[in-house]
Amino acid sequence: MTVSARKAIAMISGGLDSTLALALVKQQGIEVKAVNFYTGFCITETQRRKGGRPDGTVPQNEALRAAADLEVDIEYVDVSEAGYLDLIVNPRYGYGSNANPCIDCRIFMMTKAREIMEREGAAFVFTGEVLGQRPKSQKRDALRAVEKASGLQGRLVRPLSARLLEPTIPEREGILDRSRLLDIHGRSRQRQIRLARELGIVEWPQPAGGCCYLTDESFSRKFFDILDAREVAGEERRIRKEDIVLLSTGRHFRLSKGAKLVVGRSESENAILDSYGEGRARLMARDLSGPVALVEGTPTWEERQLAARIVARYGKGRTLQRVEVEWSEDGVVEVLEVEPESDETRIESLRI
Amino acid sequence: MMEVTLPAPDRTLDTSGRLCPYPIVETARAMKALPPGAVLCVVATDPGIATDMPMWCKATRNEHLGTFQVGASWKSWVRKRVPA
Repeated sequence: MTVSARKAIAMISGGLDSTLALALVKQQGIEVKAVNFYTGFCITETQRRKGGRPDGTVPQNEALRAAADLEVDIEYVDVSEAGYLDLIVNPRYGYGSNANPCIDCRIFMMTKAREIMEREGAAFVFTGEVLGQRPKSQKRDALRAVEKASGLQGRLVRPLSARLLEPTIPEREGILDRSRLLDIHGRSRQRQIRLARELGIVEWPQPAGGCCYLTDESFSRKFFDILDAREVAGEERRIRKEDIVLLSTGRHFRLSKGAKLVVGRSESENAILDSYGEGRARLMARDLSGPVALVEGTPTWEERQLAARIVARYGKGRTLQRVEVEWSEDGVVEVLEVEPESDETRIESLRI
Repeated sequence: MMEVTLPAPDRTLDTSGRLCPYPIVETARAMKALPPGAVLCVVATDPGIATDMPMWCKATRNEHLGTFQVGASWKSWVRKRVPA
């Protein structure tokens, strides 16, 4: 395919910055194809699946909304597969403050974007990145390293900060008018908000950024816990696709090195846990409403009792003397009669 | 029922059980294989389709004919764009 000087690939999240970048490039008469990467770790996407936010509102898909507002073709790229999952367990450039390997993740996505650029015969790739906006991944050196490692040298444009960076090939070739690109720097979003008003962009998600579970402290604890537990059990230190959903569902308790309990927090979480019952034990109080819970690993008799007591504590029978908890595993149902766990300090000490 | 006024689909795509964004990903794939002007009916159980499909159609300039809840699932009619 011949390279079309007037075509570009936009990497968009649907946040304010990527929406503005999209508008700036489109404004120059360039045909844009947007791509949105699905990693499985998007907090908003997960909230949508669980029926909405705690306040009852259902978030929309922001990347789709941005593409629709600006009438730009959009393609979803599903990367929630082994290659990406192995990368986040063994990041070359290390983690940010939680389980977020932002630099490796960017290189991975930008390499994919380069492949799409080549396939589509486009001239360049662009993002909504702003120089100095994030402590680690948006420093000048990091931006350059990512560009090089993804094979996009000279063909990766950051329209919001372009005038602070070296001119790219499309700018040098006059495909993009550099003078109409911007020189935004740092964490303040004042200029972006002003520009959005000027461009008639009325909608963007609030708060900005932070849609990734890997940057979430509580998720990270569960993420590293499961890797450590697998290592202790002599298994490979790997994240599997089904872990993504399970790690963002329910309350997690580490019963011992070899056993873990996950307790649903809502109807939709109970339904999700129910669909992951295979290969795990499923617990639920008998004749009382309450959570669905799963136990992974090989619990001892004491740990089974403890798991049942915690499940009883989170159900309607928490104030009763005895609660019957059904333990279903491999088609066999066993009933454990337990006293609901009342020692909150103990429960907290087990929480991951 | 609104449904009776809708054209008979050239193809029906059942995405039941798949969560967002897969119904849209599969819609995009199915549309690629259809000729311009063809009508696709997408069945989904993820309610996200009600907001996603109109937006996807606007972004990709395909025609959104309607999305309706039918029992526990959703049905969405889309007509493939005819190049100008």
